[in-house]
Amino acid sequence: MALNPMDIYKLLPKTNCKKCGEATCMSFAFKLLNREKKLEDCKPLYEDKKYERQRKKLEEMLKPLEEATETGLIVDESLCTGCGNCVVVCPVHVEKDPKGAAIGNGPTIDDPILRVEDGVVRVVNMKACRRYGKNRILCVVCRENCPSDAIRFLEG
Amino acid sequence: MICPGCSCLCDDVHIKEGKVFNACRRGEGIFSKYKENRAVARVDGREVDADTAIEKAVEILKDSKNPAIYGLDTTVVEAQKLAIDVAEKLNGYIDDNSSFCLGELVEAVLKGEVPTATLDDVRDNAYVLVYWGTNPYHSLSRHMSKYTYYPRGKKRPRGYDEDRFLVVVDVRKSETAVLAKKNAKFIRVDDDAELVDSFIKVIDGRAAKYAKEAGMVINEMKKADFNVIFGGLGLKYGLKDLNKFKEMVKKLNEVAKVYFIPAGFHGNMRGFNETLFERVGYVNRYSFRDGRSDEEFSFTELLKNEKIDTALIIGTDPVYSLPFEVSSKLGKIKTIVVDPRMSFTARIADVVIPSAVSGLEAGGTMVRSDGIRVKLEPLEEREVNDVYILSRIKEGL
Repeated sequence: MALNPMDIYKLLPKTNCKKCGEATCMSFAFKLLNREKKLEDCKPLYEDKKYERQRKKLEEMLKPLEEATETGLIVDESLCTGCGNCVVVCPVHVEKDPKGAAIGNGPTIDDPILRVEDGVVRVVNMKACRRYGKNRILCVVCRENCPSDAIRFLEG
Repeated sequence: MICPGCSCLCDDVHIKEGKVFNACRRGEGIFSKYKENRAVARVDGREVDADTAIEKAVEILKDSKNPAIYGLDTTVVEAQKLAIDVAEKLNGYIDDNSSFCLGELVEAVLKGEVPTATLDDVRDNAYVLVYWGTNPYHSLSRHMSKYTYYPRGKKRPRGYDEDRFLVVVDVRKSETAVLAKKNAKFIRVDDDAELVDSFIKVIDGRAAKYAKEAGMVINEMKKADFNVIFGGLGLKYGLKDLNKFKEMVKKLNEVAKVYFIPAGFHGNMRGFNETLFERVGYVNRYSFRDGRSDEEFSFTELLKNEKIDTALIIGTDPVYSLPFEVSSKLGKIKTIVVDPRMSFTARIADVVIPSAVSGLEAGGTMVRSDGIRVKLEPLEEREVNDVYILSRIKEGL
């Protein structure tokens, strides 16, 4: 299921108390999703008893954040059939590995982003992904071409 | 290494530090589990050595009046040739799974009734790719990523992004159909024959049920000099008459360049079809006694109608794959199983001869779905393989 900042915001105190260092609860929700802030940074949520139910819901909701890689990629190996579509379509692979992944073969470079290992896709080198770091591009090509939903991103 | 898992025969699989790289889930299963559940030589349930089992098999075949040889789709061309020799010597029947799989489509290609191409040509040149009645996501996982839609080719440098057009024809929205998004069309059909008919009528300029869809695909085909149709089981079983389809491909070739390739099947099914075709002019279900091929000589029909008294089953598991009413008849006849695994059929067989896994423990040649011959690169060589067993049986007769 996709996480969206609005759903997170709805469960926050919505008081804009600024204790987390953000101007508004909405901006805190965005930063939570980007993993620039942690839920614990919202002091009232933990100190005030009336927010307990909301806090538990949020903790449940934000669990996928821990599973996801730095780029927000979540791979469910149990759904993967190892078709390799993601490996071949990845624009970074096409650029770096024109004689391997770009023409349909397994990657011939040592540090591809994704690789099919033991019949399922594995993340090898997330740092090369276009979604990594500050100047990222929210590329979703691998997810778009995954027929089994084995690849997801936090934002959906 | 070559993966013998299906007729894609992927050539970029390798094993390093106990990990299998690049193979799909099915292929990986073969590499990582081939040592499990191995067959042991048996005669009437007693464990014996392989030589004794082979001698007993020869004895049974010699005494048999109506023997049939069945299977052979996962073994190498060299073994298939020997099996055909054995069938000829026995004056018996020979058949493989293609009689209920894509045999008819391979036959059309081998007879030159439809133009065909290789998958490497497809990667380099193809624009419109039609997957008709097949869901490669399940059956041939790497077909689209390695050979057809996704890779960049010489004349198609931008790959699926802009240089390809995907058409999926199916009765339901399969996983492959889900991928038909940009530059693509999913045609849901109730009856394949109606779509075939629509293509023919649209070319003739007449009205048809799927005129809009067919017209769109034909227009796309006209844009390039290389288009291809992949036909699967849905196409075979969806059509009662394959001649109409062949006529459609011919008609399409009047307005655009369209090739046909059977989508895919067992590792070396096409190898069997080609080997038998070279020898007798038919691709499967052949009777050496009658000198012809016929529906009634298919292994399932022979078994159902109790026409055979002995079956030599090589590298297939009919107890697992055929309907119970058919496979249960195996109990009434003598069965000899040649298999690397202790399959369900091996468990009920009179004689079990353990063999080697082709591609991993035995070398040889296999034929890819597009007819390219591929030399296997086994991890090790086992002495008792299909070629050894079948040549011993041939000599024994």
